[in-house]
Amino acid sequence: MRRRGFLAAGCAYCAALASHAAAQQQWVAPARFTKPDLATDEGGLWAMMDREETRLRRSPFCVRDPQLHDYMQDIACRLAGEHCPDVRVYLVQTPLFNANMAPNGMMQVWTGLMLRVENEAQLAAVLGHEMGHYLARHTVERLRDVKSRSAFGQFLGLFGLAGAVGQLAVLASAFAYSRDQERDADRMGAALMQKAGYDVAEASKVWANLLLEIKARPGGDSAGGPMFATHPPPEEREETLKKIAAAAPGGETGRAKWIEKTHPFVHGWLADEVRRGQHEESIALLTRMLGQAPGPEQAEYAYARGEVYRLRAKNNDLDLALADYQSAVKAGSEPAETYRGLGVIYRQRKQVDDAKSSFARYLEVAPNAPDAPMIKSYLEELST
Amino acid sequence: MRTLRVFLALLFLLALAGCVSVAKVETGEHAVGERMSVTLDSAWNKISAPGQGPEESWTMEGMWVDKLLFYSGIKNDQLMHAEPRAVGSATPPKSYRFRSGMQPDEIVSMFEGMLTRDGSRFTLVKLEPAAFGGLKGFHFEYTLVRKLDNVQLSGLGYGAVSKGELFAIVYMAPRLEFYPRYSPRVEQLCRTALIRDGPAVAKR
Repeated sequence: MRRRGFLAAGCAYCAALASHAAAQQQWVAPARFTKPDLATDEGGLWAMMDREETRLRRSPFCVRDPQLHDYMQDIACRLAGEHCPDVRVYLVQTPLFNANMAPNGMMQVWTGLMLRVENEAQLAAVLGHEMGHYLARHTVERLRDVKSRSAFGQFLGLFGLAGAVGQLAVLASAFAYSRDQERDADRMGAALMQKAGYDVAEASKVWANLLLEIKARPGGDSAGGPMFATHPPPEEREETLKKIAAAAPGGETGRAKWIEKTHPFVHGWLADEVRRGQHEESIALLTRMLGQAPGPEQAEYAYARGEVYRLRAKNNDLDLALADYQSAVKAGSEPAETYRGLGVIYRQRKQVDDAKSSFARYLEVAPNAPDAPMIKSYLEELST
Repeated sequence: MRTLRVFLALLFLLALAGCVSVAKVETGEHAVGERMSVTLDSAWNKISAPGQGPEESWTMEGMWVDKLLFYSGIKNDQLMHAEPRAVGSATPPKSYRFRSGMQPDEIVSMFEGMLTRDGSRFTLVKLEPAAFGGLKGFHFEYTLVRKLDNVQLSGLGYGAVSKGELFAIVYMAPRLEFYPRYSPRVEQLCRTALIRDGPAVAKR
């Protein structure tokens, strides 16, 4: 009986894998889109997005590094295939995990996402997902869905409390519709990754990594009720993508190239992460990254985590900060600010000689730092 | 449908008019909070709104153009802004609280965090020791790119900690026109700040 159950479970798993693989193979990207007539709803949406793109191009938040831009555009093109000429990638300085793609081909990638992915394949997983929305024209579908639902919702509103409950149901079903689109985009993204030669297994890791941060938040994973979440829960996405990856093994991660291309920007992205002030999430993120950071970046991550501990300053945080600053110094290529952090803690602890030598080292490495006058005053105070 | 929209818009404007008040602050000496006072050589507008944080907000041209924020007698573990509220399914934005033991760089980091809660970009230009309110304090200058409209602002601030309480004045205005116009006036105002050991007696 047990053997029969085992065989049945095995067959069911194989069938699931086969169906995922079949779904992957069946999906074919549509041909390139032509610009829709301005008189249509889709044309209006494109025009609106064109205006947004003009604004984005001029925005001071748009990162204008030609090499990094070309690298990201190449990844997008590798995924987009024949749609490549229609896809335009913009890197936006915002320290949060996000990317999106508009129906006119404008794709925005936030620097917080760049900091969080570990290799090219993980970025490709997110870009592929967004491209899935684009290729399936989900935004237009959603626009039409919202229009019809809002008309129906207004009609229900005429019926008092019962109508209000009905409006709530209409709203919830709109989110469910959005979640279905997200699931489709995950599947399409995985197919694009596979076609481009990336390791699809990296896609599920993106969500596993994000879950670590969500769970570290005060209050755990209470990021809103599931009914109104516009995306499926990360746990579900992780599991689904794992199954898809099992049916499509192989592919590259592009780790070495990723490190080479993004290394010059890591310091700035980490500074933005520290400024975000979400200490618990940052500690979870930086602990994960420290575990797999390449040699030259170890010091950067250790310093950044030390800063987060110092700014949080709870319980034994200052001890943890000191340990991280010291490990940054030991790793070598430490940022100048490591010495400022050390000096500030030693000064607070009245370790005068250590404070003086740390501040002196900071001023030696960063004589023109904006806070140099303040640090000089600390040094003078410690010398008297 | 159109009539309904106009009616709702009017209702919203009326509600706003009832909530936010603007009062003229005349020249002369003014108490800000219990222990701080400043002396003005020109009039300002004081903005009050229900649910605002512990800061007192003044402006010359309107809060969307320039802001002069006073933090007077902020106590240990006191919230520096209005209570954050979660919007929809999102988690509430980060809260910032003053701690008595904070060093000048930590206080400036706290202001930086508060000013960038909406995704704006802050760059510290200068942080130096400075006298403020008759105490040993600090002075800082910064730039801010506002996320909402990409406007580039410049700003300055002064601060000091007295008896474990924070006293600070922070100003910001668009970089090209308004900051050069008003920042000398703000610098002058900051130089007149006086932090007393006990309650100030000047008119409010």
